Amino acid sequence: MTTRTIIVTGAGGVGKTTISAAIAASLATRGLRTLVLTIDPAKRLADALGIRDLGDEPEPVAGQDKMWAAMLDVSASWEAIIYRYAEPDVGDRLLVNPYFRAIADRFPAAQAYAAGERMAEYIESKQYDALVIDTPPSGGGIDFYTAPARTSDLVSGKLLKWLTGSHFPGRSVLYRFTAKPMLKLADTILGGPMLSGVADFLLDLRTMYENLSARSRTMERYLRQATTVVVTTADPTPVYETKRFFHQLGGISIVPAGIVFNRALPLDWIEAASKPIRGVPDADLRARARVNLRTWAAEARRQADAASELAARYGVPMYAIGLSTPVPDDLTGLRDLVETTDLLKDLGF
Amino acid sequence: MVATRLIFVSGKGGTGKSAVAAGLAITRARGGESVLALDMAVSPGLATHLGSKRLGYKPIEVRDGLFAMSVNRAAALDEYLKLQLRVPQGAPTKQIAGVLNLLADTAPGVREIISVGKPVHETWKGTWDTVVVDAPSLGQFRSYLRAPKTIAELVSTGNVRRQARALEETLHDSAVTSIVFVTNPAELPINETVESIDIMRTESLGPRPTIVMNRLLPAGLIDPDQLDALPPGPVRDAAELQTRLEAEQAMWVEAIDAAWSLPYLRGILTPHEISLQLSDAMGPVE
Repeated sequence: MTTRTIIVTGAGGVGKTTISAAIAASLATRGLRTLVLTIDPAKRLADALGIRDLGDEPEPVAGQDKMWAAMLDVSASWEAIIYRYAEPDVGDRLLVNPYFRAIADRFPAAQAYAAGERMAEYIESKQYDALVIDTPPSGGGIDFYTAPARTSDLVSGKLLKWLTGSHFPGRSVLYRFTAKPMLKLADTILGGPMLSGVADFLLDLRTMYENLSARSRTMERYLRQATTVVVTTADPTPVYETKRFFHQLGGISIVPAGIVFNRALPLDWIEAASKPIRGVPDADLRARARVNLRTWAAEARRQADAASELAARYGVPMYAIGLSTPVPDDLTGLRDLVETTDLLKDLGF
Repeated sequence: MVATRLIFVSGKGGTGKSAVAAGLAITRARGGESVLALDMAVSPGLATHLGSKRLGYKPIEVRDGLFAMSVNRAAALDEYLKLQLRVPQGAPTKQIAGVLNLLADTAPGVREIISVGKPVHETWKGTWDTVVVDAPSLGQFRSYLRAPKTIAELVSTGNVRRQARALEETLHDSAVTSIVFVTNPAELPINETVESIDIMRTESLGPRPTIVMNRLLPAGLIDPDQLDALPPGPVRDAAELQTRLEAEQAMWVEAIDAAWSLPYLRGILTPHEISLQLSDAMGPVE
């Protein structure tokens, strides 16, 4: 049994987490064992699903058969990665290294890499028919696709070569490095022991290089087999991020399967706004209803313009999801969001 | 002479923070101040809201008294080395820049300290009345504010540490620095804003943020009891949407103490028109 993976990306604040949960709930309803993984630190999936304190371990979602949810714990995932791929003594040293701690907590690519590792594990567990991944908004989503390669680069990196003069240094070269007068000067000016601390960290990470880069290649293969869906709204920033993301994905030959246009207003409001309102004797109410419809119709027009520009530019299907307020916080409401579109049908479900 | 004010505008993604930052900069400039609007993000958000083309590292005048620029890492790094670290004459500046650039990819806090350093340096110059920063969204913004501490934990001596300490002092000085969080009257923006304010306080990352409630709908346009009197179809549906949004917003407005409220501007407006209208809505600030 192979796992179908759907990666949901998009700018911050467009409703990615809600859409991810909605897709997962709909797939589970079709009888597919479905796991949704959220990477976002704001626990938004937990909000949308009404469950809190999600952890790395998938938990069954109450009220939805065959659906599980998990939230990425970046530090815990990196600990697991270190213990799996490093020699035990190196692992112990890495885990207390302040650079490792800070990088695992704060480096966006480290977060995306940990998510990719999780994705690979869930796929290899063969426990799920479908996996839905809600990506972090950092770097417009591209980080998730480039993190495996970037992490191998970091480990084999320019910095280490520069610090030590070799791609395959042993720990003893550190002494050579501290003897280089220019680097000594750099340490004096920038502050110590910054460079040596980084070098220590990279040297330890270096011992994991073979394992990490083999793993990165596997992760990249899964990423290429996955289906990417981009979520946007009509606001200028998400539209800009969507364009940038398509451009960047194009650079690595990945084409999204479609754009989910979230919080869309009905298009027939545009035409209706130019017609007189009949059958409302109360003149004041009629005037207010007219102003209201016109204002919303203008917003609908702006959305339609943004959507058709994106559709024309990229030639991918657009799936409009209506503005619902408040955002559904129950599984039926979530499922209805995507079931009103052809998204899952077009994806072959 | 009055000291320069430094105002960071952050908020959850999608709440309109670039529009508010631009509106605030325009308001200050209209009030006769000399203002620098500075974009810390990669997106052209601030530029389009100021009605300008893409911004560069060198400030350009976008309207009377209002200059705008964007932080570019390479240029910021160069300036940081020359002006802030005061790399001695004769030192191999280029190589040291190379080390620092590589460190920025690896060592935590270095990239952030260079980016957050720029608006602070502009404040130290004393040439502006106000520096308005279009800052990254909440989580990333906190990692910028945290950077001086991170550096202090990792580096025990030297110029980088000294510099980080000076930055931290300015960032924590409420007589100089203000932090504005833009939010919207809806569940997720409000929850994330409240959570961020808590973290800011617990980790003492800076002055208490001022809240701006953006995208507030006019209240009381349609009476929910009158919905049935409207014909079914778009007229009633749009009225129903309005009443539901009004009810939802009334609930969330209660959940947070906002210093200002700004209207939800709908329809075909350019980003620049939005910022000009937000500036009108702000009136004279403080």
